[in-house]
Amino acid sequence: MPVILLERIPLPSLRTYTSLSVVLLSCAVFYAYQCVLAFQTNPHNSDLNGAGIEHNVNIGNSKEISDILNDPDVVKEPLPSEFDIQLPYESFWWNVVYVLTSEIWCIWTVVNTAYCCLILLAKLIQKAVFGELRVVEKQHLKDKFWNFLFYKFIFIFGVMNVQTMEEVFVWVAWFSFLGFFHLLTQLSKDRFEYLSFSPTTPRLMHMKLLSLLGFILFSCMVLLCACTYIGLHAGITIFAFMAAECLILAIRCLHVLGRYVIHLYEMNVDGVWENRSIYIYYTELIFELSAISIDFGHHLHMLLWGNIFLSMASLVICMQLRFLFYEFKRRLNRHQNYRRVVKNIEARFPMATEEEIKDHNDNCAVCWERMESSRKLPCGHLFHNACLLSWLEQDTSCPTCRMSLSEGPQGDPNGNVPDETGDARPNVPHPPHPPANPQTTNHFFHFDGSRYVSWLPSFSVEVTHTQLLPHGGARLPALQTSQLDNMARQVLSVFPHMPVNLVTEDLRNTRSVDFTIENILEGRLEAPPPGTLVTRAAIGDSESEEEPENQVCIKIISGLNSVYLFIKKKMLSILTSLLDLHLHWSL
Amino acid sequence: MAGSALRRLMAEYKQLTLNPPEGIIAGPVNEENFFEWEALIMGPENTCFEGGVFPARLAFPPDYPLNPPKMKFTCELFHPNIYPDGRVCISILHAPGDDPMGYESSAERWSPVQSVEKILLSVVSMLAEPNDESAANVDAAKTWRENRMKFEEIAAKTVRKSLGI
Repeated sequence: MPVILLERIPLPSLRTYTSLSVVLLSCAVFYAYQCVLAFQTNPHNSDLNGAGIEHNVNIGNSKEISDILNDPDVVKEPLPSEFDIQLPYESFWWNVVYVLTSEIWCIWTVVNTAYCCLILLAKLIQKAVFGELRVVEKQHLKDKFWNFLFYKFIFIFGVMNVQTMEEVFVWVAWFSFLGFFHLLTQLSKDRFEYLSFSPTTPRLMHMKLLSLLGFILFSCMVLLCACTYIGLHAGITIFAFMAAECLILAIRCLHVLGRYVIHLYEMNVDGVWENRSIYIYYTELIFELSAISIDFGHHLHMLLWGNIFLSMASLVICMQLRFLFYEFKRRLNRHQNYRRVVKNIEARFPMATEEEIKDHNDNCAVCWERMESSRKLPCGHLFHNACLLSWLEQDTSCPTCRMSLSEGPQGDPNGNVPDETGDARPNVPHPPHPPANPQTTNHFFHFDGSRYVSWLPSFSVEVTHTQLLPHGGARLPALQTSQLDNMARQVLSVFPHMPVNLVTEDLRNTRSVDFTIENILEGRLEAPPPGTLVTRAAIGDSESEEEPENQVCIKIISGLNSVYLFIKKKMLSILTSLLDLHLHWSL
Repeated sequence: MAGSALRRLMAEYKQLTLNPPEGIIAGPVNEENFFEWEALIMGPENTCFEGGVFPARLAFPPDYPLNPPKMKFTCELFHPNIYPDGRVCISILHAPGDDPMGYESSAERWSPVQSVEKILLSVVSMLAEPNDESAANVDAAKTWRENRMKFEEIAAKTVRKSLGI
């Protein structure tokens, strides 16, 4: 909501903003210049000596701090006659700079100018490297920007719990640079993915993008040096916080670079590059895993160090930790599957001989490229090793003739006992119940909080009963899922007179509440006359007299998620109301 | 990932331009993006769609040919197997894993040996012989089944519209 509101506020164009900033800055410089001039023409202060300088520095510093601690809204009226700061430097221009950094309104002007420069730099890079941005890229940028702002706000005020304005300044400056490079990396990634869709990208475009990535990487190293330097003064914790951010940025950048280099090499190499997919796979794996683990460690560090177990910030961090953990697990599962498929292929499908390839005399059916080496399936079809591998990762049949290649009892030439959890469908999760009892029935409770108050969570509790004894399976078909039940409930709330089994049957065909309702409305689905037996009992109750159940599992599905979304929304609204600084990111 | 998909799409484009199948023209919308194709399909002869020229868009995933492209007619087509928004519902375009209609055997679904040409040929045969058992447009299926005259009337109107008459 606040974000939408913010988008509607007419922000000044970059041109107006820049000229305003320049005017403000020149005012500030002029003011400082006048101050120094007035000071130097004043005979009382013109005879500064060495001791005086030392003394006056102290006065100046205390003045500066007291100024910073003042409410920034109260801009002191610049009146040269009341001017009483002692100037510490001999050089005229150093004194001007000193005045600029000690008067509160001058400081704000300087900060504003710095941001203006950053935005202008971003605009310059955009013009030079990217040209016109695509809609997707703009959207990604916007999402990334708000996300970054949100998490860093949590970090500064929730985790670090900074108290003084100076600290805020330092952190904000740090994150501005970091965010700037993060956004550039995101933009480069999107653009690379787009460029990889085209065979005719000019070489110059690649050079520009690659050099931008190189520049980001170099800046990463500079930032890393900076945080090492700061870490020497501020301690190991601060160093760890800052270095983790730098490393994540560097890894993301390297990831894009790695993919880019592989892509360019692939497009320019003649013929087939056999091991291509292996390189790609391991590059992705290593970069993804390392980015996730560093991020995980970073968040864990925040949670433990910040001592914030009972606060909003901890909730947000826990959510992020949970997300990262599942991401990590998902990636590892995929890798296990990959390893299994590789092993399976190596064990069961031999490499084809030269003669077989010659007899076959055709290209690989997956990539349409010539075959120099290939694997032979039991059905006699030949494919590249890499092509076969990537297909078998998601399916288990021969691409050409659809012969099942799963490790069934008949398909194993080595006579190994097929593994019960083998790769019949590698990417499909195994059914939670033993296959001997496919008959499951569900209780399904759904609480939709948003119907009462907008921020109440909605959640679903699903109780699955699995019967031990095989039971007369005609009552409820095996496809009875919670989703189907839920859809049936929705239909029944519109048409209470319809029998539930009819509705479920139709839903199974249409897979859509709308279509079923349409079917009912148009009379394709008719309720039986009132005399017939109607099983419109609540869906979960119908098996209450069934055989004993052996397994009850409860799933709470989306409750926490909506709470999290709500908190995120609230935090964002607080954030936007606090920040007076509207960045017009019209890259 | 996109590299091998790009090579394969370029090979398919080359083949389609060297020996184009009858009644089908297809190619990338522009050279900058090989993953977005435009196709023109002529209505098959001796059917109610005869004479029409129907434009369609094909959007390929980055891991093509492991996953099927998405196909959508950009003109209005009243047909049992075409959703009202133009999306085409044929089994060859369904990924092996998902089964939106619930009764296709995996043999009818996508596999990497399929190609743009095969997709477009099966769309042509779908235009010729609608399959009203797996209706994507329920209205059209009903009209096709119960009021063939009216269906042909509507089809003739679509054909005229597609030619801009």
